[in-house]
Amino acid sequence: MRGFGDLEQAIMDAVWVADEPLTVREVRECLNRGRSQGLAYNTVQTVMEILHRKGWLSRAKDGRAFRYRATKSREEYAASLIDQVWASGADRTATLVRLFDEMDEEEVAEVRAALAARRRGQRS
Amino acid sequence: MRVALLLLGYAALVATAAPPLARAAWVVRAPRLAICVWQALSVTVVVSAVLAGLALIVPTVPVSGSLAALLQACALMLRERYATPGGAVVAASGISLALVLLGRVGWCLAAGLLRARGARSRHAAVLAMVGRTHVDPGVTVLDDDRPVAYCLPGHGHRIVLTSAALAVLEPEELDAVIAHERAHIRQRHHLILVGAEALERAFPRVPLFAVAAEQTRRLVEMAADDAAIARTGPLSLAAALVELAGSVAPAASLAASGGHAAGRVRRLLAGHRPLGRAAAWGGALVAGALLAFPLVLAAQPAVAATGMNSCPLREAPRSRSVSPECPAAFRGCLVCSPPSPKAHRYSG
Repeated sequence: MRGFGDLEQAIMDAVWVADEPLTVREVRECLNRGRSQGLAYNTVQTVMEILHRKGWLSRAKDGRAFRYRATKSREEYAASLIDQVWASGADRTATLVRLFDEMDEEEVAEVRAALAARRRGQRS
Repeated sequence: MRVALLLLGYAALVATAAPPLARAAWVVRAPRLAICVWQALSVTVVVSAVLAGLALIVPTVPVSGSLAALLQACALMLRERYATPGGAVVAASGISLALVLLGRVGWCLAAGLLRARGARSRHAAVLAMVGRTHVDPGVTVLDDDRPVAYCLPGHGHRIVLTSAALAVLEPEELDAVIAHERAHIRQRHHLILVGAEALERAFPRVPLFAVAAEQTRRLVEMAADDAAIARTGPLSLAAALVELAGSVAPAASLAASGGHAAGRVRRLLAGHRPLGRAAAWGGALVAGALLAFPLVLAAQPAVAATGMNSCPLREAPRSRSVSPECPAAFRGCLVCSPPSPKAHRYSG
């Protein structure tokens, strides 16, 4: 565990993998598995509270402890990023530089044929 | 007035004559040179307009006086060479023109940089949490069923590929894609785009800036393509482009932005014919000349005035009538000071 960001990431990974909402204790057990020097309870609790404040985790009271769950699945976050790339039209190119660009079906068929012809030419 | 009109005329000429350059055949053979030429064209138009505004304030007494002191030239000569009818009104509109232009460009540039940086860091924060690392350094993989490759440039830059993109690309195609994105990052294309788009946003009525931004977007892709094919050959990159673009249903919102992908594949398949060295140097010289010309135009009368040892005598009667302000404003003029050998020039 190098930095704070890595710890946040490890906690999110643990929460995403679990089937049900987790307590801080459960997350800590999960993180400390196979680790010689374990993380302190307070460290894990603090970082999970920060993640809650940042909107990554939501929590509900369960007895005396909170149970945390991810507000969105990993796939939903990934999809939202790709949506951003998708939506980056002409005015957003300075933020992201996309490789893909749209082609209509005719163009795809045309360049595919040209590519195949070049490949044949190179092989023979 | 003559200087200001010449500068404005030059700016208008460049702004109207340049856009057809987009259809020139050589630009696809030397995309990086073409980017420089578009930048030179855009900058020279802005600089000429700003200098035209500044030229209008030279005839005012404080400006011509301090400029004369600076250049050790004759203030009267300067006033005559940059003379404008209309005096203070014209000078005021000149300085406002210069300030408005500079302010608008600076504002749009700063806003564009900040906006892009903010959007990038928000994107990077989520990416760091949900992305998986790839064997290639600097590459992050996102699980998504849309085949997409893009890069997040700037500080802490990342190349991002979706799991679907990894699935459709052959190994050498993947190398080509990563080389293409690395070229974007290495050649700082995001900064080039920020500049072009800032001018486009600052002056939406000037077609040159819209054409320059559109062309820059197209040319940075070609420049990155050229860097990639130097590593992997054109066929791998062409195939990767077809895989990534071909499996994507064109989104309605993007249809208007005009895809360049098909043109890029055709260019890759046609074989790369870089521009000859002589032609490339010629282009670079033209770009330099474009930038230098407004400076020469604006400074030439002042330089000519510096070369004079004394003010022309025909100015004498007129200047005598304004003699009370002479010590401050017309320092260095023969007609204002007692004729001594040292009085030809202002010293100190």
